[in-house]
Amino acid sequence: MISNKNTASSLVPAGSKLRDNCQIPVNPSILSTRYATDLIIDISGKEPQVRRGKNNEFYIPLGEEEFLKTVPALSEKGFVLISLFCVQDFEESPGFTLFYVFRLKGFTDVFAFMRQVRTETTSVATIFPSACWYEREIRDGFGIEFKDAFDKRRLFLHEAYPEGFHPLLKSFKNRKIQAVQNPEEAYPFKQVEGEGVYQIPVGPVHAGIIEPGHFRFSVIGEPIFNLEIRLFYKHRGIEKLAEGKRPSACVPIAEAISGDETVANAVAFCTAIEKLAGIEVPPRANCLRAILLELERIYSHMGDLSGMITDIGFPKMTTPFLILRENIFRQNELLTGSRFMRGAVDIGGLKKEISDEALLKLYLYSKTFVPEFDSAIAAVRASSSLIDRFSTTGVLKKKLIAPLNLTGPIARASGASYDVRLDHPYGIYKDVPPERTIKTAGDVLSRFEVKAKEVLNSAFLIQKLIASIPEGAVAAEAAGFAVSNIPDGYALSMVEAARGQNLHWIYVRGGLIDRYKVRTASFCNWQAIEHAVLGNIVPDFPLINKSLNLSYAGTDL
Amino acid sequence: MNASFLLFALLNTGFIMLISPFFMSLIKKVKAYTQGRKGPSLLQSYFDLRKLMQKEVVYSPNSSGIMRITPYLNLGVLLVATLFVPVVFIPDTPAGIGNIIVFLYLLAIERFFTALCGLDAGSTFGGMGSSRLMSLSAVVEPTMVISFAALAYVLRTVNFHEMFAVTAGSTIPESPTLTLISISLFIIIIVETGRIPVDNPATHLELTMINEAMILEQSGKNLALIELAHAIKQTILMAVLINVLAPWGLATELTFASFMIACLFFLVKASMLAGLIGLFESSIAKMRLFRLPGFYMMAFFFSALTILMEVFA
Repeated sequence: MISNKNTASSLVPAGSKLRDNCQIPVNPSILSTRYATDLIIDISGKEPQVRRGKNNEFYIPLGEEEFLKTVPALSEKGFVLISLFCVQDFEESPGFTLFYVFRLKGFTDVFAFMRQVRTETTSVATIFPSACWYEREIRDGFGIEFKDAFDKRRLFLHEAYPEGFHPLLKSFKNRKIQAVQNPEEAYPFKQVEGEGVYQIPVGPVHAGIIEPGHFRFSVIGEPIFNLEIRLFYKHRGIEKLAEGKRPSACVPIAEAISGDETVANAVAFCTAIEKLAGIEVPPRANCLRAILLELERIYSHMGDLSGMITDIGFPKMTTPFLILRENIFRQNELLTGSRFMRGAVDIGGLKKEISDEALLKLYLYSKTFVPEFDSAIAAVRASSSLIDRFSTTGVLKKKLIAPLNLTGPIARASGASYDVRLDHPYGIYKDVPPERTIKTAGDVLSRFEVKAKEVLNSAFLIQKLIASIPEGAVAAEAAGFAVSNIPDGYALSMVEAARGQNLHWIYVRGGLIDRYKVRTASFCNWQAIEHAVLGNIVPDFPLINKSLNLSYAGTDL
Repeated sequence: MNASFLLFALLNTGFIMLISPFFMSLIKKVKAYTQGRKGPSLLQSYFDLRKLMQKEVVYSPNSSGIMRITPYLNLGVLLVATLFVPVVFIPDTPAGIGNIIVFLYLLAIERFFTALCGLDAGSTFGGMGSSRLMSLSAVVEPTMVISFAALAYVLRTVNFHEMFAVTAGSTIPESPTLTLISISLFIIIIVETGRIPVDNPATHLELTMINEAMILEQSGKNLALIELAHAIKQTILMAVLINVLAPWGLATELTFASFMIACLFFLVKASMLAGLIGLFESSIAKMRLFRLPGFYMMAFFFSALTILMEVFA
C-alpha cells in the first residue's frame, strides 16, 4: 500500500548530500536560487541575474563568455540536461535564444540557462550527449549551425525536404513545398566494417501494424554489434501548428501529441498555462486529473506487459492482461466518454464534471482489478520459459541514464530513482506522493517488474484518491478565473507520463501562443535502445524494443 | 509396381492431401481456446488456400528460377514422402518405397530448397531465415537420424511399411522403448513444422522468424502450394508418430470397411495429437535462438537412450 510519509522528506533520498555537505533546507526554491548564483560566481566570476519562473523554474541569462565557462562545468556537478530548445525573438531580444534546461538531484526546481545566438554557435553535445538530438532538431527547425558538433546530420527533416527549409522560423509561412525527388546524398549511417559484419536494414515499413522507424543493424552472425535508429517519418508540425493560436484552442493539439499520453500531455499543457496565468485549479479537479493520469499509466503499462509476452510467443499468458486493459478502457469511457480520455482535461481543471457514481464504479472495479492482476503476474513469474527470455536480455546500464536523460520506468528499472511526480511534484502529488519503484538489474525482466509494480501502485493510488475526493467545482471559471484570456508570459511544466518525463514550455504573447515546445520522454528514451541491444541477438530485438515502449508519435511532433 | 500399390498411392496421398489443412486450423483453434478466444473456423485453412490460389503471383525482380520452381518441387517431394507413410492401409511395397533414409533425404531436399528460396529474392529477412534454418539444421539432422535409427533398431527394419506392419498387429506398443522414441518424434514434429518453442508461426515480427521469413516473398498460388506442402509435412510426421505409438485401425489389407475405419481412426488420433501440439505450444514461451540445440538434444537423448536400452536389455 501507499506509505504516508510526508512530501518534503520523500523528495530527497535519505543521505543525499548537497555541495558543502549541507542537508536540504525547508524551502528548496530559495536555496536553488542561491545555489545557482553561487555556482555561477564560482565558475565564471560574474554574478548572474537569476529570474524566478512561474512554475518552479529559474531562468538564468548568460553572456557567451560565461556560458562557455559555466555550462560545460555543470556536467561535473551532476546537472542533467533535460531539454534544449530555441525561441526566436524572445521578449525584447531579437534573434535566437537557446534554453538549456537542467535538473539537479535534490532540487524541485529546474534551471534554464539562456544563451543568445546568431545563426552559428557551438555545440555542447560532447559534454551532454543528450544535446545531440536537440541540436540537430534546432538546426532543422531554425537553421542554426552548431559548428563543432560531432553529428550534423538532419533529424526530423529528411532528405526529401529542400535545403534551407526551416519551418520553425517566424518568417516561415505554411505553404506547399516541392519535395526533393532524388536527394544527392543518402543519409549516412555509421558504417561498421570487418570480417563477417553485415547490415540488416529494417523498416520503416514493418510487417505488423506499427509506426514507421528505420533500424540499421550491424551484426556478426546473430549478435548485434551496432544499431542505429532513424525516426521522424511522420512529422506533423505540432509545435508550428500551435503558434498563433489561443491557448484554449491548443488543448486538443496537446492531446494529439501521442495517443496513449493524452491526459499526461493535456495536463502538462494546461499546468503551464495555468501557472503563467496564475489560475488556481480547484482541488477536486486536481484530484480527478491525478485519477485520469494514473488510469492512463495503468492501461499503457498493461499494453507493455502484454506486448512483452506476445513478443516471446506466449499468447496464452497475454490474455489476462489484455482483458484487464480492455476493462480499464471501458472505465475510461464511463468516466470521460472516451476510451483514451480525450477531451477530458481543460485549462483550469476539467471540461466536465465526473459523477460520483462513475467514480464509485471505478473504485469497485479497482478492488477486483488488483487480485486479478496479481494472479496474472503470479502466472508470469511461475513460467520458467518466460523468465528465461526476460532475464539478462537487453540490459540498460545505469551510467547511461544521466547523460541521455533517460526517464520513466525504463530508468527506474536500471537503478534510477527519478520520478517527476516525486522530484518535481505537481497537482495533487504534492499531498499524495506515489511510491517509488526501483529495480537495479536493468534487463527486460526488471522493466517488466517495475511496470507491474507501478500498475498496482497506480491502482492503490486511485483507490486512495477516490476515497478522499473533495467536493466542489471542477473548473477554475467557477472561482472567477478568466480561462479564455491568458496574459503574456512563459512557463515550463513537467509531468510523469507512463513513459517518463514529459516537458512542455509555452510562451504566450499578445494572448496567442508564440512558441510551444514539447519534449516527450520518448525523445530521450529512444536513444537508450541503441545501447540496450548491444551484444544481444537479433531475434531478441523486438522484445527489447517492446520493453522500452517508445513512442514514435511522441518523438516526431 | 502392382495394382494394390497404385491404389494405395491414390488413396493414401489423396487422403493426406485432403485432411492436412484441417489439422493446421485445428491447432490454431486449440491455441485460440487456451487464450480465451473463439479462433478461426476449422475450415479456415481451406478457405485461405482457395483465396491464395486465385491470387496473382508477384516475383521480386531479383529472383531467379529457384523462386518459381520451389513451390512445385517442395509439394512434389512431400507428395512422394506421403507414399512412405501409410495411414489407410499397408500395401505390397515396391523396393525403395518406405525406406527411412530416403524419407530423411526427401525432407532434407524440401528444407534445402526452402532455404535457397529464402535467399533467392534478395530480401533481408529471407536470408536471415535461411541462415538460421541451415545453422539449426546442422543440429536437427543428427537428431533426426538418431531418432529414426532408434526406431529402426527397435523394430528391426529400415522400412516404414514393414515397421508399421509390425506395430499394427499389436494392441499395445510393440516395445516400451517405443514410448521413449515417441517423445523424440514429437519434438521432431515441433521442430520440423516450426512451432513454439522453435519458431512462432503466428508472429509478424520479421526479426524473430525462421520458417516464415523464408516464405515472406512468396505470394498467390505459389504461397498456397508452400502452405499445403507445409501442412502435408506436418501430417506425415504426425502419422509416423501415430503409427508407432497407436497404430490401431491401420489396415493391412484393403477392403472398403477397413479403409473407412482406418480413415476415421486416423482422423480421430491425428486430431488428438494436433490438440496436444496446440496445448504444448500454448504452455511455453518461444526459446532463445541459441538455446534451441538444447531442445533438440532432448530428442537426441531419448533416442540414444532407446538404443542403449535395446542393446543392454
